[in-house]
Amino acid sequence: MTEEGIWQAALRSRNLVLGACLTLVFVGAALLSFLWVPYDVTVMDIPNKMQGPAGAHPLGTDHFGRDILSMIMVGARTSIAVALVAVGIGMGLGVPLGLAAAAKKGSLLDEVIMRGNDLVFAFPSLLIAIMITAVFGASALNAIIAIGIFNIPVFARLVRGAALSLWTRDYVMAARVAGKGATRISFEHILPNVTNLLIVQGTIQFSLGILAEAGLSYVGLGAQPPIPSWGRMLADSQTMISFAPHMAMFPGLAILLTVLGLNLMGDGLRDLFDPRIRRGTR
Amino acid sequence: MSLLEIEGLDLDIHGTPILKGVSLNVAPGQIVGVIGESGSGKSMTAFAVMQLLPDGSMCRGRVELNGHDMLGLPERSLCRLRGNEVGMVFQEPMTALNPIKTIGEQVAETILIHEDVSRPEAMKRAREALNRCELPEARFPMSRYPHELSGGQRQRVVIAMAIALRPKLLIADEPTTALDVTTQAQILRLLKRLVQEDGMGCMLITHDLAVVADMADEIVIMRRGEVVEAGPTAQVFAEMRHPYTRALFEASGHQLERGGAAKGAPLLQVRGVVRDYALPRTKLFAPQAHFRAVNGVSFEIERGESLGLVGESGCGKSTLTRAILGLEEVQGGEILLDGEPVFTGHKPNRDVRRRMQVVFQDPYGSFNPRWKVGRLVAEPFHLLDDAPAGAAREAAIAEALESVGLSAQDRLKYIHEFSGGQRQRIAIARALIIKPELIILDEAVSALDVSIRAQILDLLADLSARFGLTYLFISHDLSVVRSITDRVLVMRAGQIVEEGPTAQVFDSPRHDYTKTLIAAAPVLPERGAA
Repeated sequence: MTEEGIWQAALRSRNLVLGACLTLVFVGAALLSFLWVPYDVTVMDIPNKMQGPAGAHPLGTDHFGRDILSMIMVGARTSIAVALVAVGIGMGLGVPLGLAAAAKKGSLLDEVIMRGNDLVFAFPSLLIAIMITAVFGASALNAIIAIGIFNIPVFARLVRGAALSLWTRDYVMAARVAGKGATRISFEHILPNVTNLLIVQGTIQFSLGILAEAGLSYVGLGAQPPIPSWGRMLADSQTMISFAPHMAMFPGLAILLTVLGLNLMGDGLRDLFDPRIRRGTR
Repeated sequence: MSLLEIEGLDLDIHGTPILKGVSLNVAPGQIVGVIGESGSGKSMTAFAVMQLLPDGSMCRGRVELNGHDMLGLPERSLCRLRGNEVGMVFQEPMTALNPIKTIGEQVAETILIHEDVSRPEAMKRAREALNRCELPEARFPMSRYPHELSGGQRQRVVIAMAIALRPKLLIADEPTTALDVTTQAQILRLLKRLVQEDGMGCMLITHDLAVVADMADEIVIMRRGEVVEAGPTAQVFAEMRHPYTRALFEASGHQLERGGAAKGAPLLQVRGVVRDYALPRTKLFAPQAHFRAVNGVSFEIERGESLGLVGESGCGKSTLTRAILGLEEVQGGEILLDGEPVFTGHKPNRDVRRRMQVVFQDPYGSFNPRWKVGRLVAEPFHLLDDAPAGAAREAAIAEALESVGLSAQDRLKYIHEFSGGQRQRIAIARALIIKPELIILDEAVSALDVSIRAQILDLLADLSARFGLTYLFISHDLSVVRSITDRVLVMRAGQIVEEGPTAQVFDSPRHDYTKTLIAAAPVLPERGAA
């Protein structure tokens, strides 16, 4: 498939275009918030609290009178940063572990890596996150570490599985005949051929990371006030949901649409990279 | 009266013409061989009969099966016909069966779909179908799973599924291509017997002229979506009106002009090599069992010689290849190249490795799809301590590509831009680039069409003369081995059973197994005779 072919196919894929647009809206909002927000999110304006969506505040205000649109924009920053770094940790550690396990299949190293992954998988992620924050204190950084750790086995397993089948290919055999060692083959031949998978899984893990951050913030273990966070906005609004539903609705929608966008994009990318499915892409 | 009549069939897929005015007839009890190289449209013709075409297909013309107009029927009626009136056998017996269902269930399933019979009744008829395909109940109960059967036995199950409802037409698409020669002979005999017993029409699709030569009543030769020649088998072989038929025939029995092999000191010595594989433990504390894949194999290859290694799948020839290449350590014996061991102290010997290279079978799987050809071809430079860099490297790549008949500009392309035959040339260029003395050709031409195969064999003969190369030619295809080797080894169950000059082994085989192999290989009739 040529480069142009990929772009054409990408633009034809409804999932991919819609997902990428949704994602871009929130990434754009997060970037914009560094330069400009309608209102300062650290300043309270009690007289104007819990106002519904109206001219001055398009998405209304919360119980301290802060502008919800501004909070969602700044909150996108937190969500995206936490999820991005967490996926980075997962890939950065998981991919080399998976490659190593596949290269030395059946060895002690493989066993240690994969059983270690099983161990991490066996714990409920939220419990571990609570434990980490209980020991080290609640902060966005600790949320990143907690979510990142749970991304490691996801990538390690994915890469090991894909790499195992690549190791049986003749071009790997040819590389071995050319005297190349396991590390070199892993980086030259295996890694470039699993990048498609990594991009797709990375997108999905990114959306899961945003959900996880929202979940941790909801129980008060994520980013701490006054940094706005979608999850905590939801938590703050729940007692007032009967008379100020907009306070819960907009951060909820933000989470929903971002996760939906990322998942659509992940699906679209998977179809794009898999020629067998691409035929059916409209 | 014809059973299947195809007349002026045109097929477009997304606007690309695939078939152009194909006409052929199959009468009851008749075997029609459809022959062509890849891309000739022979399989698409079969799919058009079944109306199992990919999305975006447009058919024009007439396809009439036993009075049904296949192009006009709605999908519901087609479903009733498929399996009931037409049975189909595919190439790959490993993937044509569902691995989690027993063979009995799978055969009974076709019966249950098409006929309103009880389950026990369907199972009884499935048993009969399996019996007819020479899978007797005593050895092959219906509760067997596909993984418990060999490739040939699986193909019998696939055939049993196809004939369970006694269809009027059987379409066999390369039914024996994935099988060993001895198994191939058995499956072909079985198909012939079933066609005679049931009076079925049979459309036998294959790329191998020799297979249809003694099977088919009529043959149809296809090329690029068109029928170039058709007629009774004997007549087609005798007349060969179309030049393509002649080219195909000549390529199938391709003879090489080779200079006399330079005799000299032995280049590769294999002495009493033993290779064991550990089998998975069946009991927790049982001692580990071993499978001896290569059992005391000894042979030598002289410099400039071309040695053939013939054997069926599972005989240990691939294991032996990996051992010679120093990719796996052997458990006994030694392998010496020019007197130096391939393995020294549990480590492959780099000095020896850089003097041999390998060409694999699969032209599609042997290249990293993300690399450009230049980088692919230059990969063996990793073995050299003083690998050329910069302009010298580019020149070496260009020289290697040009020596296999490609252009230096091809180094900038990706592998998917090349056809199967060109890819195999690139694989040979990759093997040549470090100027090795020994090249191991592991089924290197088995996946190629006959005309391409003939070109690659010519190239190999030419290269060996120009660069004084020594070949170890591993193949299951006897005709190829015969044309390119000086001496041949016959391997079975990890042991060499016969060894000798190629002509002598083929003309007067001594070992029973060699005799079976040679007898099973399909042969082309003499030109003009038949």
